[in-house]
Amino acid sequence: MELKVYCDRLSQPSRAILIFCKANGIEFEEVKIDLGKGQHLSAEYEAVNPIKLVPAIVHGDFKLFESHAILIYLASAFPGVAHHWYPADIRERAKVHAVLDWHHSNLRRVGFIFNNTICLAFGIPANPEAAAKGEKLLSASLARIETFWLQEDGPFLLGNAKPTIADLALVCEIMQLEAGDKNDRDRILSPHKRVVKWMEDVKSASAPHFQEVHAIMGPVREKLEQLKIQAIENPE
Amino acid sequence: MELKVYCDRLSQPSRAILIFCKANNAEFEEVTIEIGKGQHRSPEYAEVNPMKQLPAIVHGDFKLFESHAILIYLASTLPGVADHWYPADVRERAKVHSVLDWHHTNLRRGSVGYLLNTVFAVAFGMPGDPKAAAEGEKLLLASLARIESFWLQGDGPFLLGNSKPTIADVALVCEVTQLEAADENDRDRILKPHTKILKWVEDVKSATAPHFEEIHATICSAREPLKKLKAQADHKSE
Repeated sequence: MELKVYCDRLSQPSRAILIFCKANGIEFEEVKIDLGKGQHLSAEYEAVNPIKLVPAIVHGDFKLFESHAILIYLASAFPGVAHHWYPADIRERAKVHAVLDWHHSNLRRVGFIFNNTICLAFGIPANPEAAAKGEKLLSASLARIETFWLQEDGPFLLGNAKPTIADLALVCEIMQLEAGDKNDRDRILSPHKRVVKWMEDVKSASAPHFQEVHAIMGPVREKLEQLKIQAIENPE
Repeated sequence: MELKVYCDRLSQPSRAILIFCKANNAEFEEVTIEIGKGQHRSPEYAEVNPMKQLPAIVHGDFKLFESHAILIYLASTLPGVADHWYPADVRERAKVHSVLDWHHTNLRRGSVGYLLNTVFAVAFGMPGDPKAAAEGEKLLLASLARIESFWLQGDGPFLLGNSKPTIADVALVCEVTQLEAADENDRDRILKPHTKILKWVEDVKSATAPHFEEIHATICSAREPLKKLKAQADHKSE
């Protein structure tokens, strides 16, 4: 049965799904939906996902969107996926659900890098006030990951010895900082040594796919740097 | 194994869990943690949930928070829960996950943004932010429209076109009913045009009777006291 993944590597949840598929040897076709060009708003894409967001999948005749639902579906539907990604034990699984839910209203909600950099790719001017608010929430979320979600027993979220889908989802979110100013990224991340180590551990556990899927971030950063310079030179 | 549900009936996700438990004849102890009195910030409650939010459960030695995770856990663990609440079929289950996820960033975000900055601000002793309230209302209205045009499409009366409710129906309907705390004119302005939503709420109520109505008594009786608080606050600021 054919699996198509509709995504844009600029999108954090898109990257999580691509890395998951590749790390688990799942055969699929990557269909790029270019957000910067507004392809997610096209009539063709609406037929895939009426909510017009990425990522989405089509598996045979089955359509699905919302990245956490997709990650869970892929972990459950493909027999070759190692169990640590989405544990069968009801209680361990519940903890994975809890951190994925927490993610929606905390780390994912942040709006720091969107409001000072990524918005420019959509022709939206930077919003320093929203970015400042976003940075505060980001720092608080990173602190929470260090003090609560990362525990003593193991290197991954929830103290697990091996990564779950939650590790991929959250680390891909933090990697969005790679699209912005390196000084900002270092300022925000360097106080959180446990987070930095955890990110390295997730990278190693899903190598070489993590690096390959994130290769886009360098060129994206350069392009956005250009847009920033243009915006400063041509203020509206 | 003992199950304790830490909740406040004024909280939407708390109600969803209580209704689910009662509709499935679960044995549990309801432990009220009153948000209005700041009980969620006590050191005792931090032992239960370090995030200091409601709801949370303790099942034997297992602690869990985040209402969707709790609903899934209870549907998977409690004896005698019918399959329709959280289908075993991987694809049907995925659809339930997708509407629960959509809920976080749409109905819930809109509803909370609107109500926190209009009705509940005064109860928490904070000034409401009119801009945030307007943005919240916009998202709330868009979300209600989306539920009608997309999530309620299909053969049956429940979300995803199902003929019987899932945990997602209980979770989302309890968000819609939070409007019972608002001024009736605002609630009617927002809800009355959405006849499909109103019917869906009634269908979920019937499917979980008599528990739905019983658990909603608290939020329904919150409107008058909240109106009074607001009137006092408005009077003071004049």
